[in-house]
Amino acid sequence: MTTIPVVYVKGQYNHLIVRNLKELGVDSKLLPPSVPLEQLESMKPDALVMGGGPQSVRSPDKLTGELADAARLIRQVKLPMLCICVTHQLLATAFGGVTEAARKPEFGPVEISVIDEGQILAGLGPSFTAWESHNDEVVKTPQGFQIIARSSNCSVEAMRHETRDVFGVQFHPEVSHTQKGVDLFKNFLHIVEEHNRT
Amino acid sequence: MGERLSVAVQGFHPSSFLSEETARLRELTQGKKVISAVSGGVDSTVATLVAREALGDNLLPIMIDTGLLRAGEPEQVKESLSRSPTALKIRLVHASGKFLASVKGETTAEEKRKKFRETFYQVLKEEAQKEGCEYIVQGTIAPDWIETQGGIKTQHNILEQVGIDPATTYGFKIIEPLADLYKDQVRSLGRYLNLPKELSERQPFPGPGLLVRSIGNVTKEKVRVLKEATKIVEAGLSPFNYEQYFPAVIENRFAKDPSPKTISETAGEALGLPKSEVHADVFEDRVTGVKGDQRCYGLLAGVKLSEESSETYGWLQDRLRQLQTGIVEKFPDITRVALLVKERRGGGSLSILVRAVSTRDFMTAAVSPVPWKILKDISKQILKEESVSRVYYDITPKPPGTIEFE
Repeated sequence: MTTIPVVYVKGQYNHLIVRNLKELGVDSKLLPPSVPLEQLESMKPDALVMGGGPQSVRSPDKLTGELADAARLIRQVKLPMLCICVTHQLLATAFGGVTEAARKPEFGPVEISVIDEGQILAGLGPSFTAWESHNDEVVKTPQGFQIIARSSNCSVEAMRHETRDVFGVQFHPEVSHTQKGVDLFKNFLHIVEEHNRT
Repeated sequence: MGERLSVAVQGFHPSSFLSEETARLRELTQGKKVISAVSGGVDSTVATLVAREALGDNLLPIMIDTGLLRAGEPEQVKESLSRSPTALKIRLVHASGKFLASVKGETTAEEKRKKFRETFYQVLKEEAQKEGCEYIVQGTIAPDWIETQGGIKTQHNILEQVGIDPATTYGFKIIEPLADLYKDQVRSLGRYLNLPKELSERQPFPGPGLLVRSIGNVTKEKVRVLKEATKIVEAGLSPFNYEQYFPAVIENRFAKDPSPKTISETAGEALGLPKSEVHADVFEDRVTGVKGDQRCYGLLAGVKLSEESSETYGWLQDRLRQLQTGIVEKFPDITRVALLVKERRGGGSLSILVRAVSTRDFMTAAVSPVPWKILKDISKQILKEESVSRVYYDITPKPPGTIEFE
């Protein structure tokens, strides 16, 4: 059985990620970001999903304890990784990108335009409605990352690492109102399977 | 929460959930008497039935009449749950005086919710002492602890998850059989337990009841009008199968900042209408919302379109969506937007806000497309109340709104 813990950074939908994964047959539970690396490794996880949260990552040197811990996991864990909302922003800043206050914050339904489906957004193009809840947004992706989706307000709705299986999405695939949100998790599971085979 | 989440199941299976949970409850309570707090809602009813499966006659269901339930509800619930197949012998505890006294003079949502929580557990403490009970079962579900822990709003049934130890504070321990489940999973468990459809599919009602639907200061008149409006809205909207629908009441006191003129302009721009056809007011009492996973105790804008425009736009979902996002994007302090359905010149000092949403799990919610004609019919009936002069329809999804107003 595939094991994918979800890092809980106090977002409203973190526990819904666990629910989505369980419904896809994955062994999943919430973990605090302070989890020691050895403890995480002892669970033999196949991948990691990081949820959203109320904190801001605009100043990389003023992160809350929770986000500092989450950033440590992002840098240290070499597994396939899906980072959602605030941890998508954290993923960007942790590798040298920039997050700022959104010119137009997005709450509720947003039309997402897919730039490059790749594996993670397979079947989601050319556009779909996703639900969002964010005051900040990624304005510059880090080196080695490619933008794969945008909206009319936000230029980085999704990004992926060019060589590693690491993905960030600004929207919330885990909420029931996001169209094809489940498909994104299924795509991620396929990527994890392939990763394990190679 | 921790250990139980690690039990990996494909989806949710009521049968395996029930056998694991009843075994856990028996182990925990060791044949002692246990109180179950019942409200008549699906969560507490299903939690009680799970506990009874495990504990049999050692389970004592009680219902607290807070005075903030719907008209006639405590007696109805006691009667309907006493029948087969639920066959629960519920003892009613009358405490409405205590609850109303405890929130007197409180005007902010969080203070009202915390006072309610305190009274709720004080009443349970007395009952637990009377019965000699060490444990209390309650129907907490996942959104309750998620929203409380995330600081969005204080749900009345959350203690341990925010660092309050019930054992030292109130002298009993709390059992939450459904803490990892969402509403749709609770309903499916209810169906598995042969709960009659009117109970398993029952419309949700918040624990603090009309307290959080009487926005700001709670007065007897507001609660009275709200009970009447609740009857009208429930009768009018129940045929549509929306997951949640209800009215709230707010006083017609308006803030000066942001100015009605600037909001009216933004509203007109969003709708592509001339200024003369749009007017916006901002209520002084604040309402709860959630933006970017943060609590936002913000303002409510009430938008009035000229008669002709509201007939045209009343049912155009995309336009209403543009109106709501246009205002919320531009004014960070505004959390929610409502559209005027009908008003009565020279009426009283209260407005009624009607809300109807579709949602699977109550974590996100879309505004339901209630036909404009139905909204007008409902409003006409509500406006027969002397103290009400306006009826609005809330057009805010969650996020940035929440399902309830406080």
